[in-house]
Amino acid sequence: MSIFDQKFKDIFSSELISILSSLIAGTILVTYADKLFLLPGMLILLPGFLEMRGNISGSFASRLSAGLFLGIIKTNKVNTKIIKGNLLASFLLAIVVSLALGLIAFLFNYLVLKIFIPKIILIPLIAGLIANAIEIPLTLFMTFYLFRKGHDPNNIMGPFITSTGDITSIVSLLIVLVII
Amino acid sequence: MKTIRKHLEALRIVRRNVYHPLVHKIHRKHKISRKTLFYIKEYGPHTNVSKTIIKESIKILLFASIISSFGGLALEYVKEIFLSFTPLIILLPVLNDMIGDYGTIVSSRFSTMLHEGKIRKKLLQNLELRRLILQISIISIATTILSVIISLFISGLPDYSYIAKISFKIFLIAIIDTLLLLVILFLIAISFGLYFYRKGEDPNNFLIPLSTSVADFGNMIILSILVILFF
Repeated sequence: MSIFDQKFKDIFSSELISILSSLIAGTILVTYADKLFLLPGMLILLPGFLEMRGNISGSFASRLSAGLFLGIIKTNKVNTKIIKGNLLASFLLAIVVSLALGLIAFLFNYLVLKIFIPKIILIPLIAGLIANAIEIPLTLFMTFYLFRKGHDPNNIMGPFITSTGDITSIVSLLIVLVII
Repeated sequence: MKTIRKHLEALRIVRRNVYHPLVHKIHRKHKISRKTLFYIKEYGPHTNVSKTIIKESIKILLFASIISSFGGLALEYVKEIFLSFTPLIILLPVLNDMIGDYGTIVSSRFSTMLHEGKIRKKLLQNLELRRLILQISIISIATTILSVIISLFISGLPDYSYIAKISFKIFLIAIIDTLLLLVILFLIAISFGLYFYRKGEDPNNFLIPLSTSVADFGNMIILSILVILFF
């Protein structure tokens, strides 16, 4: 039974790239921890907020890849019903999930921690809009680029989205905290 | 040609959430792949693409958000201790991503094994499953050790000198957290994978969101407990 086969190498190398970018995200998090965690409840919404990017953009990339392989989506035709529908759905889902995360954090704060902070509803909502305005077009561009270069986007987009998603999410949260 | 067109038109008006025997019939008769037929049924000219996607995704996304928020609540309780140890903050996104990645790999590979008929009654005698467990365990331990070393190095750069005892505790927290989560991941993937497969459903559609959500939640809970225990 060979353990160190090609699959082992593939998983290990993609995981190395993934942890390196997560470490960058963690370093940004620690650098601005005093600002980010000043507001009670930020740790309640942070895991869900980080996960959301992978869930929405990951499915988006997967749908695009399936369409590209089936020939239903063409890399030179972006202005089609299926791509516009996917973009709209991803943005709307991001808004709904961000709002839900804000509401859950607000409710947990109010009911469990006995703190009333309505501001916490707005933070993930605005940060979600900023992060997705970067992440969703980036996902579209990267999936098309990889496909055009002859790669299978399914193998690369997963780690790519989780890596870039962490950084854009934390930076957008910081931007919103500065604004608010 | 006329028959294909007629069949495809019929497929477009089939209700989205129903697996219609017509899919199987067209697949067999016209040799069109099931994936293509699925796409026609889901996102054909008479469907609203965004509505279809939102309707199918919203429940699982909201479920994942609630689960993650419960995990976050556990961390909020140990916020003071958690935030006082810089490497733990750096490691938070790393552990979260790592568990998500392994959840996806384990779930999709176990689903494939089920579809290929490689899983028999005696699970632990299955060479491919044993190889998968060993591979993921080795990679996860190696990447966790590497992440802890880098996070300790980054934390030590400004003006914070970590004594050996604290470094060792952080190292233990990360390793125990990863190992416990791996056990949870494999248990979920194997038990629910078999359950959905025996029910005649595709485990791919359920295992990834299920294992990643439970693992994320478990990560926060285990991390919070370990922080309380060690500090």
